[in-house]
Amino acid sequence: MATLALFAVGILGGVVAHAVLDRGPAENPYPALPKVDEPRAAHDVVAAVGSDDAQALSRMLDSTMLTDLDTALQPIVDVRTTKFVGAVESEGRLLSAYVVTGKTTEGIDFVVGFVLRVSNDQVVGVN
Amino acid sequence: MVGLRRLIAGSAGTLLVGMFAGFVLASAVGVFIQDSGLFGASGESPIARAYMLGLLQRDPNSIVGIRPNQSIAQRAAELQGADTSRTTTSIQPLSLTYIGGASVGSYSVHIYAVGLRTAQGVDQFFPLALTVSGGKVVRSE
Repeated sequence: MATLALFAVGILGGVVAHAVLDRGPAENPYPALPKVDEPRAAHDVVAAVGSDDAQALSRMLDSTMLTDLDTALQPIVDVRTTKFVGAVESEGRLLSAYVVTGKTTEGIDFVVGFVLRVSNDQVVGVN
Repeated sequence: MVGLRRLIAGSAGTLLVGMFAGFVLASAVGVFIQDSGLFGASGESPIARAYMLGLLQRDPNSIVGIRPNQSIAQRAAELQGADTSRTTTSIQPLSLTYIGGASVGSYSVHIYAVGLRTAQGVDQFFPLALTVSGGKVVRSE
């Protein structure tokens, strides 16, 4: 019983130590933009990526953007999941951000992030 | 006397194991809460934030410990660039927004939107995705 109590006290101490050491991000001295909903055009592009639909993707992005998307997805060659993480807008320019998980050519699990630039309801760039 | 020593050693060991378990548990729960966005957590990594602030404030020294090792020539060139940039005040940061991120194993990705005003008065708005692993930013694009 005493051993269990000591163990519990230890766990509590560990939690407190973590809370003290884990301070979180530093304060952001710059203004942050409000989040907006996911743009439809960007959603369609990422849906094509997630469903491995190269034909649909070829109709939605030009060759420059396809090259940029390929670079952004490196080193993932086999996409497993796509996740919309947020979008922000500034003066009509919209950035829609995604996280993709998948496997590299060596079969290693990896995660990458990329952003679609949207303007006038169209995807106009990939970062 | 020996019995007392054993009792103290055993108790200290139990306490230490408990502390270790508590620390790991709190860390795991913290990562889960951050990634899931529960309780209003943004999921933003302190390392990613520090890196972004170092970039925007043109202070390479502040991020030297949280990015991949560079050669001395690369670091010197970067410091030169930062000095020039600071003295000419060519870039004025307008906004820094954490859009979101996620983790897989030891890798986490954090995506930011940056607003800048150039010396010509042109506003730029662009994203930056940081990959963090092992306490360092291993990829920035």
